[in-house]
Amino acid sequence: MTLRAAGRALRPAGRAVALAVAVTAVVFTATELLPGDAEELRTTGRASQEEAAAERDRLGLDRPAAARYLDWLYGLARGDLGHSLAGGRPVAALFAERLPATTALVAVALAGTVLLTAAALAVTYLRGGRGGSAATGLAAVPQPVHAAVLGAVLAGLLGWLPPVSLLPSGGSPLSDPRLLVLPALTLALPSAAFATVLLRGALGDVLRRPHVADARLRGLPAPLVLHRHVLPFLYAPALQVTALLTGGLVAGTALAETLFGYPGTGQLLVSAVALRDVPVIQAAALLPAVVLLLGMLLADLAARRTTATGPARHPGPALPDAPRGGGR
Amino acid sequence: MHQHSSSRVPLSRRSALAVLTAAGALLLSACSGTPAADTPAAGTPASRTGAPVDGGTLRYAVAGSPATASDDPHGGLGNESDVLRFALTYDVLTVPGEDGRTRPRLATSWKPNAAMDRWTLTLREDARFTDGTPVRAADVLYSLRRIGGKAAENYGRLADFDLKKSTAPDEHTVVLATRAPMADAPRALESVTFVVPEGTEDFSRPVTGSGPYRVKQTGAQGAVLTRNDTWWGERPHLDRIEIQAVADPQARASAVTAGQADVAGSVSPAAVKSAGTSEKTRVVRRGGVTEYPFVMRLDTKPFDDPRVREAFRLAADRKALVDTVFLGYGKVANDLPTPYDPSAPKDLPQRTRDVAKARKLLAQAGHADGLSVTLHTTTSYPGMDTAATLYAQQLADIGVDAEVKVEPADTYWTAVYAKKAFYTGYYGGISFPDLVRVGLLSASPTNETAWRSRTFDDGFARAMATANEARRGELLSGIQRELWKDGGYVVWGTGDGLDLAAPTVRGLPDGPGFQRMFIDQAWMAR
Repeated sequence: MTLRAAGRALRPAGRAVALAVAVTAVVFTATELLPGDAEELRTTGRASQEEAAAERDRLGLDRPAAARYLDWLYGLARGDLGHSLAGGRPVAALFAERLPATTALVAVALAGTVLLTAAALAVTYLRGGRGGSAATGLAAVPQPVHAAVLGAVLAGLLGWLPPVSLLPSGGSPLSDPRLLVLPALTLALPSAAFATVLLRGALGDVLRRPHVADARLRGLPAPLVLHRHVLPFLYAPALQVTALLTGGLVAGTALAETLFGYPGTGQLLVSAVALRDVPVIQAAALLPAVVLLLGMLLADLAARRTTATGPARHPGPALPDAPRGGGR
Repeated sequence: MHQHSSSRVPLSRRSALAVLTAAGALLLSACSGTPAADTPAAGTPASRTGAPVDGGTLRYAVAGSPATASDDPHGGLGNESDVLRFALTYDVLTVPGEDGRTRPRLATSWKPNAAMDRWTLTLREDARFTDGTPVRAADVLYSLRRIGGKAAENYGRLADFDLKKSTAPDEHTVVLATRAPMADAPRALESVTFVVPEGTEDFSRPVTGSGPYRVKQTGAQGAVLTRNDTWWGERPHLDRIEIQAVADPQARASAVTAGQADVAGSVSPAAVKSAGTSEKTRVVRRGGVTEYPFVMRLDTKPFDDPRVREAFRLAADRKALVDTVFLGYGKVANDLPTPYDPSAPKDLPQRTRDVAKARKLLAQAGHADGLSVTLHTTTSYPGMDTAATLYAQQLADIGVDAEVKVEPADTYWTAVYAKKAFYTGYYGGISFPDLVRVGLLSASPTNETAWRSRTFDDGFARAMATANEARRGELLSGIQRELWKDGGYVVWGTGDGLDLAAPTVRGLPDGPGFQRMFIDQAWMAR
């Protein structure tokens, strides 16, 4: 990579870091705006004033919000995520305990999303770019409804899957893959529907291009047209949608993990919000933000490579606009 | 009791015992209640179902929220999953018995002085920590002082003890001082007095204990415990207990029906209704565990008029409330805030719904044209909102327009509890003396009904200084009559604590409060 290319790659990286910090500031402010703080919610109003004051002092809640935020940020820069205000354990340890479970869940959900999206788009392709209202409908259904319906059918009615996803003590999520199915599907179904809706437009655009019609007229078989003349134009938007959805999947674990009793970081976030456990909330919010921004960064870089013939000016959705450009 | 109170002690420290009480997001339903009546499906003590079998693993799904998980047995005890682990891996001084009376554990006996403010506890001599060192009086005193020092975190759990003046005169004797005569001191030491080695400071990981089990590993989902073969007590039957922390009650119930867990602690009546009827599960009912009283402040209009309070009590259709809120898993109550306490008077006439009389009382109080009030409630515990909504409908029949306001659960206990004039409360099996100290003395820190009665205060102080148990019971029962007649509580019913268990699980405790955590004598039938 040339220096200029490296510079081009670094600028988005800097932007990503700035955005991640902005996210933490927004989350911190939002938590501050919630009524009550960790001390009040721990003592539920039953501590004396002196006890409450001592507790606030111990938890560092007596200092102004800005100072607490900057402290946290300084700690983060040194790789110190702080301690939970509720249980007192190091935040890093809490996450280390739960990250493997969430990583496994997100990976499986992402694979499911990709497969389902590919299948839906294949159907759209075969129908010449039309249809897909089913996907729009699915995308509009709230996640808890997906969870309830999937659980009722697959675990309740058919009895194929366990209704909750408790991991065996000390076991890895991969020891019984069936435990991953319901939470992963709950995440993947709406996310695949969303991806289909987003990419259907791009697919339609490509299909309407003259070179595709031309290839078809020349009698090339449909799979070949797809492979040679359609897919290359979809890589860039697909990558970006994937990056976007991965961040979304990580964020979505909050709900899916809570509903199925799955011991990941999403569950941790939900209970931390209820207790205004700021250091845990901050770390939990940082996670999907970092995943999303990192994904976008990688997608941008990859998009540059796949659309290398163009001058790749804008890092936004790299919709193919050169008449024949993207082929190679 | 006040004449003995040290003036340095902020009175609100008493709120203390509220731990066990209480109303909180971090709540444990604790303390004592009466043993549940055994239903045919109820958990039956081992003795009644054949000889216990040794061996096996029990998987126990228990309430637990990852954010409050802690390895400190002296802190807030916000997580039932942690309390279960502590109860199995540490020794405590005393435990509640099946009948609600205090039983020995690490303390084999106790004796008060004449003034009832010094308690001499004799400890067992054969208790050892899992590292082989003996459990000494110094370890006990260290642990108690640590609990006292964490008063802000644990609502002053031991605030009625003067731990500075308490001593350990020899290896196996502890002399505990109380701030006032405290006849129920052994009871206050039940269940939560987890003993760790003296000088322990690092609680960021499980600390050595001396209980029936030892920690093998802990993780995100919970903990794995194995039997401690050097424990002094009756040898536990199970080789291994896996504690699974699951926040959602429905998920806990599902885990048992699907065979992923053997026991689900504290599930909702609805979950029992749907799951408990199948062949695959049994229901353990623990009586008198949940109570959602309606709380009226005596210092605020219109509740400053005893006729209004009486009318509000007469408006309640208690049976309908129990059937709707607890789905029948409960009992009608008679406006005594702790009907399960051994001291509750048994001979009071049951108040029943009397719309005509209630209307008449309201008219006499000057509300012939009706009365508008706001009834606050929340969704912290299942059914609290239902209770308020149904009661508001019942109040409409006596001409009261009660607007139900459902407040956010997060802030209910700070913004509404002990502050608003009329709201839905929560008690989780608190004992009567604890409730009095927390909320019914003139100077109580959270006197939620603004109940201030000289005769009541005096009666309680006298009871706490009375060594004779029967006489003490009479005194306590006497002040409850006053409360029944004139107090600020509408106590319409108590709900059962409900656990779901696989049919092979035997010997689960079905007694009051924290007794359910001491499952060291449970076993699995083959």
